[in-house]
Amino acid sequence: MKPASIQLDELYVQRDKHAKELRDSGKKVIGYFCCFVPDEIITAFDMVPYRIQGSQNKAIDQADAYIEPMACPFVRSCFNKALKGEYDFLDGFVAPHSCDTVERMYNIWCQNKPAPFNHLINVPHMMGPSSEKFYRQELDYFVKSLENWTGHNLDTGKLRDAVRLYNERRAVLRALYDLRKSDPPLVLGTEITTVLVAGMGIPAAKHIELVKQFIDEVKGRPLPQTQKLPRIFIWGNELDDIAFIKLVEECGAWVVMDDLCTGTRFFWEDVPETADPLDGIATRYLYTHCPRSNVPQTKTRAGDLENRYSYINDFIKEWVVNGAIFYIVRYCDTCELEGPDLREYLNGMGLPVLMIEDDYSTSTIGQLRTRVQAFLEMIG
Amino acid sequence: MEQKEQTKTTAVKGTDMARKVRGLVKNIYRSAHEAKAQGKKVAYMMVSSQYDEIIRAMDVVPIPTENYAGLCAAKREMDRFLLKAEADGYSQVLCSYARIGLGFDSLRKELGGIPEGAPDGGMPTPDMMLGSSAVCDPRYKWFQAAGRYLDVPTYSIDVVWPPVDADLKAVRDHYIQYQKEQFQGLISFMEQQTGKKLNKERLWETIRLSDEAWRLWYEIDRMRVAIPSPMPAQDHFSVMVAGYYYPGMQEAVDFYQSLYDEVKYKVENKIGVIPDEKYRILYGGGLPPWHTLWIFNYFESFGAVFAIERQYRAYDPVEVPSSVKDPVEFLAWRSFLRATQFYEKARANSGNPTVERLLGMIDRYAIDGVVFHACRSCRATTIGQVHYKNILGRYTDIPMMQLVSDMVDLRDYSEAQWKAQIGAFIETLAGRSAR
Repeated sequence: MKPASIQLDELYVQRDKHAKELRDSGKKVIGYFCCFVPDEIITAFDMVPYRIQGSQNKAIDQADAYIEPMACPFVRSCFNKALKGEYDFLDGFVAPHSCDTVERMYNIWCQNKPAPFNHLINVPHMMGPSSEKFYRQELDYFVKSLENWTGHNLDTGKLRDAVRLYNERRAVLRALYDLRKSDPPLVLGTEITTVLVAGMGIPAAKHIELVKQFIDEVKGRPLPQTQKLPRIFIWGNELDDIAFIKLVEECGAWVVMDDLCTGTRFFWEDVPETADPLDGIATRYLYTHCPRSNVPQTKTRAGDLENRYSYINDFIKEWVVNGAIFYIVRYCDTCELEGPDLREYLNGMGLPVLMIEDDYSTSTIGQLRTRVQAFLEMIG
Repeated sequence: MEQKEQTKTTAVKGTDMARKVRGLVKNIYRSAHEAKAQGKKVAYMMVSSQYDEIIRAMDVVPIPTENYAGLCAAKREMDRFLLKAEADGYSQVLCSYARIGLGFDSLRKELGGIPEGAPDGGMPTPDMMLGSSAVCDPRYKWFQAAGRYLDVPTYSIDVVWPPVDADLKAVRDHYIQYQKEQFQGLISFMEQQTGKKLNKERLWETIRLSDEAWRLWYEIDRMRVAIPSPMPAQDHFSVMVAGYYYPGMQEAVDFYQSLYDEVKYKVENKIGVIPDEKYRILYGGGLPPWHTLWIFNYFESFGAVFAIERQYRAYDPVEVPSSVKDPVEFLAWRSFLRATQFYEKARANSGNPTVERLLGMIDRYAIDGVVFHACRSCRATTIGQVHYKNILGRYTDIPMMQLVSDMVDLRDYSEAQWKAQIGAFIETLAGRSAR
């Protein structure tokens, strides 16, 4: 048996390999976007949830004939892969209404590369009791659509099991993140991204097993050199390639914590175990910390920022962060509007911030090296 | 060859009523300043959020911040606001309406008052900000971000529309219920801010006035099938001010009644926008280039008239069931019906409601070509244009063109490039008509 780190590396490189094998063995694979489609529901139908990813190191060479180049390059990259047949193994395509681009992409995708099953879950941008109720109803409708398509009714017992399974995965991933708290951290940011991305296309049970083994491997390896380096928190949206984090670490820093769509944002909080598991799922997913969701305003500006970002404050303190880097994939309006607010909040805590806007392409990342180096020198 | 900068921004209008719109625009900001001076509540808001009638019924004076951005562009007074927002950390690819609004608020805060020379006296400081998720994401995020400059109560609502492939019978009830609850949340917030309860009779009255204005506007657009075209798209982008910024007001009804009479007269007397109408163009979508509206006249110089448009013409009148007796529920129903009115047709044909709408226009208005405007900073109205063109191409062989710039940011516009594109487009139209 290969070490977990090698297996995870292989899964990171060949992200669809295992999903295709499962499909060949008779399993249905459901592709989905973002952090608002509950894996638990798909798993409860005995299907494999597959988080759709793009490719930062391949040019978007076909999608522009279908979608404007001023749309999110991550989404365009995903669709580019679909056009090339790289997602033909998907039995289903599920998009949440997470943002303008994904919502519009749904129709374009379905009309040009439809999967056998296609569905859009409307996710409220607002948060509150009526939004929770609506999102729950949207999940009911999603379940009904899956029931119609598969010919099987949802088994509530299986859904309950899936909730526990994914909570276990969340716990294991949080345990992995705990290894970043020491100075120096026991695990690199690049390794973390590899582990997370590798897990996006395999069943949770397998991912849990691999992450546990990986944690044991990490604990068993020699302690890293105790070189004093800045400890960095990364904030942004889709970073499903290690290139940028590698660049930061190569410039002389430890990437120790994140708030990314491909990081804590998708797994950090547990699903509460409720009598009807869909209630807990609805609550958990609706309140995902994402710039596309509108946290109701509190009375003062300072109170409002605290209300929106106190969870980041906790990250900063617990992981002893010295500086923050924002990596915003261009054309993400919600991140572009959120960034200056978060910077204000973090600066208020005395934390320096480097805000970067980029094209979701490894070909442009090299240009960022000087900026990152200058930032790291500044925070010493 | 040295290029002379084009400073003309506005278009020559085809109708007398369109020429009177400037007064309506000025009045938006004048009314807000007056209301503020009188101690009345004024609110930043987003048009087409389906809540306009509630704002009017609560006697809160709306300040449409997006319109202000368009106004700044038409007056070529946008740069200092755009640059200020960018200096404050907002990306150059972020919605330029939002950048102008944020830049304006930032400058006002920095200067301690309205920036000198701001168009139409600028926007007064609002008592509250009312965002919404209707149309696009920046419409609720913008006001959240504006909290940097304005520590005022802010409330946003969801406006939800199902996808075209949804089983409408299965989802209708929860969509309408949620919409109703979102409106109710807004009403509670506004009652708290204003200290007074919503008068439902007053809300019915604003709905009645609003629907009447939109009905008249719809009838006007139906008359525009006439050849020669009695009213061009550039007029539409002026007269929409009444429908979008004065809904629930008698002014809107009166305005459209007068416009109706004028267009009817022109149709009956075959008075066209230009003397020799050769080509009829459909403005297929995208926010108008507010910085360069004269471009419509440039098309006219080649005999091409924009006979109809999709942008700022979001829905036709809908029939809410008479069993609905509560005005808030009525608004929720109306929103749902407006959003889904082309779904059935789309499912039976092209699969896309926007394409259905465009196909209907191409047919009814005897369209010879379609022009889209892609705005670099507006994802909501731009993403999909290429897709619409692709699908339209399966049903019609008329020429289609996508011009690219931005709705207000002139840095994304190239006059030379546009003229070259327009020249080629006109040649294609001419080639087809010669066949």
